[in-house]
Amino acid sequence: MSEKTDYEAGLGSNALKNPQRIVFITKKTSAKVKGDVGKQLMSYPHVILREAIAFQLLVIAMVLVALLWDAPLEQLANPLLTPNPAKAPWYFLGLQELLHYFPPLVAGIIIPTLVVVGLIVIPYFNVNIQGKPLWATNPAGRLRVVIATLAALVIVLSVFRAWTVLVPTFVIGGLLLFSYPAPSGDRNSGQFLGSRPISWWVMTWFIVVALTLTLVGTFFRGPGWSWVWPWSSHGA
Amino acid sequence: MSEADKPTVKPEGEAKDSGGEISRRDFFNEVAIAALGVAGLGAATVTYRYLSPNVLFEPPTTFRAGNPDLYPVNSVTYITDQQVYIVRTGAGFYAVSAICTHLGCITQWKPEANQIQCPCHGSKFREDGTKIEGPAPRPLPHFSITLTPDGDLLVDKLETIKPDKVLKV
Amino acid sequence: MSTTPFNQTLDRLRDTRFWKSIFRRGPARTNRTRSLAIFGNIFLHILPVKVREKSLRARATYYLGSFSFFLFVVLSITGALLMLYYHPATPQAYRDMKDLRFVVSNGVFLRNLHRLAAQAMVLAVFWHMFHVFYRGGYRPPHEFNWVVGVVLLLLTLFLSYTGYLLPWDQLAFWAITVGTNIISAMPVLGKQVRFQLLGGNLVGENALLRFYVLHCVVLPLLAVVFIAVHFWRIQKDGGLTVPEDDERKN
Repeated sequence: MSEKTDYEAGLGSNALKNPQRIVFITKKTSAKVKGDVGKQLMSYPHVILREAIAFQLLVIAMVLVALLWDAPLEQLANPLLTPNPAKAPWYFLGLQELLHYFPPLVAGIIIPTLVVVGLIVIPYFNVNIQGKPLWATNPAGRLRVVIATLAALVIVLSVFRAWTVLVPTFVIGGLLLFSYPAPSGDRNSGQFLGSRPISWWVMTWFIVVALTLTLVGTFFRGPGWSWVWPWSSHGA
Repeated sequence: MSEADKPTVKPEGEAKDSGGEISRRDFFNEVAIAALGVAGLGAATVTYRYLSPNVLFEPPTTFRAGNPDLYPVNSVTYITDQQVYIVRTGAGFYAVSAICTHLGCITQWKPEANQIQCPCHGSKFREDGTKIEGPAPRPLPHFSITLTPDGDLLVDKLETIKPDKVLKV
Repeated sequence: MSTTPFNQTLDRLRDTRFWKSIFRRGPARTNRTRSLAIFGNIFLHILPVKVREKSLRARATYYLGSFSFFLFVVLSITGALLMLYYHPATPQAYRDMKDLRFVVSNGVFLRNLHRLAAQAMVLAVFWHMFHVFYRGGYRPPHEFNWVVGVVLLLLTLFLSYTGYLLPWDQLAFWAITVGTNIISAMPVLGKQVRFQLLGGNLVGENALLRFYVLHCVVLPLLAVVFIAVHFWRIQKDGGLTVPEDDERKN
């Protein structure tokens, strides 16, 4: 314990004997003891009861749907005949849609790895923890970065002709630019969007792209992965 | 808070630290961890070997495609069991893999479009395996095709050859 | 207090030596016995004794994490039952699917329930993650629990994916063929990883058996461990995050 620290532990809290986090000291802020937590309820029965009701509702809903809707079963697996179109489970159809545009190494390995790594590191970056609005500091400089990033994305996606990624990117990019605070006075419509941090924008972009890809892969792709409308009958 | 209240407990190993020399506990700790590491590595290697099957019951990779006269000139014939196209042009025979180089789906020959098409991600190929469009990274490979002594076509799926090589009959 | 016959019976039951030997407490009517009910129970002690009212509101969680866990429970039960009529061999696996539909009493219902719960669990886990993100639930001191959550998301996807092969129909076979070919696109190790996963070069008998073991033993065990850590850390990290917006309102 030779190291000199800027703070001292409170009375009777021997950290070696009884480690327990009582204060957080983050950069640029003073130590903040958790303040008023408001009303508290006993877990038994309040939490237990709610969880039990949630469980019952869930099981009732599941049983009802399972009675009405049969799980699909196709022909016996045949390694000699690929069904057309061959589709992965719905939650991988976004990935399959990406595989249509990008080489397998990019769409199958690099992008998913980046997504997982990106998710894991979210809580380890101060910019995400503080969650300051994107345009709060140096808006003009950030606008340039945003426009450059969006332009690069649009170019890359256009080169690969990844239209189903490009369209949601346009929508989110458009909203992002729209949220840029106008120099003269406040805009009402931009208030919610204008106060969003960078992490919010990236995650929202990711969700909208993933949702679009999954929906397109599920409903709009027919034989040979060509575009079909869900209401037009195909295959047969 | 007075000095006396401050935690003075030190890990026992450090208490006898006498500059540079490692304590008996540290030494045994390191030896034990190293031993664990070696054992873990050995276990991982043995498990890895265990997980790789030595004998596989998979179909043979060489097959006879029958007499050359079965194939008309300028035709593409799909051998269903082997996932190979036998193509006969005026110049001769060649064998093209039917497995898409993208993700291993089996392609289909579409005579009306004169194309080989993949149902999974929409790659399209010419009959010689070169790509027209789609995500496939490479053209479909050509397999070695020879004649057996008794005059049948013999295709070896383990041996790929250059696409300009054709078997003249 | 207890007037109905049901309550009287319950009270009489609570007075028995056997009941007391199990629960070691009286009826949970005081805060002391209610606390005991939580931390005196190996399953419930993963919960805190008290929770903030603000984190119990529907808006705080929509019970998405709970639903994910409940679906895992439903899947474990239906899965164990389905295993009784299933052989991980080709083409017997497919015949077992047909048997479940046409021969086994309520077999089709169990399979429907298992498949439906699997789809719902993937959905619930994703939704849970996005909800936690927008609530800022990843912020310190919850950062490690967020990572555990990401691991659980991956485990859910792997569980669902390995289960997808087991019916051994066309849908299963080609989804797994495409999926494992993606792995072989990985530089250097891809081909070997695919060979190990499939136990061969093709999706065949070995692959089915390996996916079966992963689906029924390895991955569920891992999931149980990580779920336990996930729940325990909620309590150890000081309960759910209440965003500042919610904190300011009343």
